[in-house]
Amino acid sequence: MADVRMIGVRKAFGSTVALSDLTLEIRSGELICLLGPSGCGKTTALRILAGFEKPDAGTVEVGGEDITSVPTPKRGFGMVFQEYSLFPNMTGRANVDFALKLRKAGAAERKETVDRLLTITGLTEHADKFPHQMSGGQRQRVALARALASQPRLLLLDEPLSALDAKVRDSLREEIRRVQREVGVTTLFVTHDQHEALAIADRVGVMSQGVLEQLDPPRALYESPATAFVAGFVGTVNRIPAERVDGGWRVLNRVVPGRPASEGASLAVVRPEQLAIDMDPAGDGRVTETTFLGPLTRAIVHRTEAPLIVDVLTSEFPTLAAGAPVRVRLRDDVDDVLLIEAPKPE
Amino acid sequence: MRRRFDTATLVVAVPFLAFVGLFLFVPTLGLAIKAFTPGGSLGFSAMQRALEGSYRTAFINSLSLSLTSALIGGVVGLLVALSLHSLSRPKWLRSTVDSWFAVAAQLGGIPLAFAFIAALGTQGIITKVLGLAGVSVTESGFSLSEFWGLVLVYLYFQIPLMFLVMMPAVGGLRRTWAEAASIMGASSARYWRSVALPLLVPAFLGGLLLLFVNAFAAYATAYVLNPGAQIVPLQIRFLLQGNVITGEQDLAYAIVLWTITILLASLILVALLQRRTAKWASA
Amino acid sequence: MRILRNVFLVAVGLYFLVPLLAMARFAFQSVPVVLLTPEKLFEGWSISGLLEVFSNPEFQKAAITSLQLMVLSIAVTLVLLLPVAALVEIRAPRMRTLMAGITLLPWVVPPIALVVGVAATFRNTVPWFLASPYSLVPFYVLWALPFSYRALDAGLRAIGARTLYEAARVMGASTFTIIVRVIVPNMIGAIIAASVLTAALVLGEFAFAALLLKETLPTFMAEFQRSEPRAGMALALAVMLLTALIIWVGVRVLRRRGMELQAAGV
Repeated sequence: MADVRMIGVRKAFGSTVALSDLTLEIRSGELICLLGPSGCGKTTALRILAGFEKPDAGTVEVGGEDITSVPTPKRGFGMVFQEYSLFPNMTGRANVDFALKLRKAGAAERKETVDRLLTITGLTEHADKFPHQMSGGQRQRVALARALASQPRLLLLDEPLSALDAKVRDSLREEIRRVQREVGVTTLFVTHDQHEALAIADRVGVMSQGVLEQLDPPRALYESPATAFVAGFVGTVNRIPAERVDGGWRVLNRVVPGRPASEGASLAVVRPEQLAIDMDPAGDGRVTETTFLGPLTRAIVHRTEAPLIVDVLTSEFPTLAAGAPVRVRLRDDVDDVLLIEAPKPE
Repeated sequence: MRRRFDTATLVVAVPFLAFVGLFLFVPTLGLAIKAFTPGGSLGFSAMQRALEGSYRTAFINSLSLSLTSALIGGVVGLLVALSLHSLSRPKWLRSTVDSWFAVAAQLGGIPLAFAFIAALGTQGIITKVLGLAGVSVTESGFSLSEFWGLVLVYLYFQIPLMFLVMMPAVGGLRRTWAEAASIMGASSARYWRSVALPLLVPAFLGGLLLLFVNAFAAYATAYVLNPGAQIVPLQIRFLLQGNVITGEQDLAYAIVLWTITILLASLILVALLQRRTAKWASA
Repeated sequence: MRILRNVFLVAVGLYFLVPLLAMARFAFQSVPVVLLTPEKLFEGWSISGLLEVFSNPEFQKAAITSLQLMVLSIAVTLVLLLPVAALVEIRAPRMRTLMAGITLLPWVVPPIALVVGVAATFRNTVPWFLASPYSLVPFYVLWALPFSYRALDAGLRAIGARTLYEAARVMGASTFTIIVRVIVPNMIGAIIAASVLTAALVLGEFAFAALLLKETLPTFMAEFQRSEPRAGMALALAVMLLTALIIWVGVRVLRRRGMELQAAGV
């Protein structure tokens, strides 16, 4: 295993800048997710690592060695694609075996490795089917086994779950995480699904318009987003007008320390679970909608200003329903907020 | 409960099957019966004579002409499809080639023969240009009416036909397969050998069959280039239009029946080969 | 590798272009090859021969016959084949293999073979049938089958005909209504492809029409060529290019719908 670095990588397609000056380090054995909307440059970053695209500037290093101009087949990586990457003329087993043949492994070693990988990925029964006879989940398991077969220095996953249905997606996501830990392979996982990224990654890098906005462990990313984009893209947020006062910022009922993301920032970014409601007939808010989420209930509260999304414990408000008059407050345990600029009126 | 046969499907399938039966099976059966009843009574004499002497030569010539032009046309057609697939610009090229090849694939006719005569005949413009450059086409032994001349002309419709057959298959090769192979450490040559070509084989076999059938049945071109050529379609024509000597008609039926047998056998052979090479698609 | 490919493509391009140019020169330049020198390269070009053909009544008759045959063949193909292809796809998919096999059979009995069988059967039993040039239509439909069926089948699968059918069925539409109002409008691309392939076959077929002594465009051109070699060549060239142009328009329409003109194999 080796650590992987992209340093100052730039890539433009015609006049579209896909990556502007990306620097990213993946530590040995780590799983990093690149998260962002389509067109943010995450796939370009992965394709540059794979060697499918040449960067306009910058270098790619693996274990200290500059591989920027090393052709793809010589990089020793493994990759799982979004879909349809299994060779349709080979069975699942033959697909995995092909990777080993390319490494010129002996017959005994090949058989042993193929069997082990098929067992790890839970595929033993379906291994002799052809790709078109397998379900989407089975195909991606084969693809994972195949990518791991050549003991890659870096495993690249390009939205491997996005073509699957929800249930398979969740279980295969856990599976990928387990296998990745078991094998200890350095991994870059590209996705547009924030739940996926938060659930699976050691660190998540949020990208927007070719720029890596923030690279942090999932919890840090969620709890202290560095930029307005990260705050908006990861999780649900309320944007509440805040007022600069002595000792911090006034947000609803409290004054808390703030981290302005830019000059002139005046909107506090507050998660639904950082808010609380009190039943109050004289309150300025009115619940207009509730959604039962199991242990939590999500309420939409209309006030004179923009509506707020508030998550409350279902056990505390078992009968909360539309029409209830309430007062919304910032919870006492919130000890700092991110402040962003108000969007310009269009 | 599902019925074995669906009423609506039957309502439309019956006229269709009747159509095929009436215009394909009835005439074929009719000539088969006549081929086995030379002179009005059951016998194999016509079928036997159809494979003797000059008729035997005709079958051998037709087989080798069809096989040669199918193989060369097949390989070149495939290469054209592959080359054009990897070429995204200029944009007009693909639609121009598509349209011209769709026409050329049906060009088994007289205009094609004359185009080649105008180019490579004894009075052809290329013959003249080459002559000025000191190369004599006639002295080289090349002639449009000989075997390789016919092959050269047949390629004008064989290559386009293979191109039309292979283009969807070549277009079906996904970029991710090449990328997956590449990241696994496979060279481009290895990818073609182990993945792309095996995937193209079934379509290629089907194309070869089509080309073989096409060349075997080609009639007008050969007729113009060499009316006396010893090939099956011209023999059939000769027997049909020649003065009706007793038994000659029966011979025509027999030759046609052998032709159909050969083509049917090649169809079955190709279908079996395809089943073997396309296990991954149907199993 | 790239150079090799480009050289190859240029060579193939020349192979396809040179006979056409030679044909054009012969058709439009009234200078025999023997007398042709570099100085005379631009002498004697004229298209009057070609223009005269167009006013030839026999040509007009043959052209009209061929166009009628083309329209009729396309119509019969669509009326006869489309419902079968659609219903097999949406209601009896198990019959698909059977249909694929049946529609390949015309390959086995090419025109030069079938004409003998037709002469052996129809000429004695229903002589009136072969008297009309329209008797060619069913046979042209037959030989186009391997292509037209595959084009339609590919179209049906591409639009997910089965799902469309079931969706419309739930809404209470009859099978007939579904095919006419839902399936057909959605697979216009495939219908164009099947029609174009049928048309190209009808406009180019020579052997069958010639041996049955029918005056179609190809047989007229062969006859005309014998008496007027130059104008005949010009006509042949014009017809080929015109057909190519029509197909080119078809290809562009298909491409805009994200489809390809294809002659699928076995």
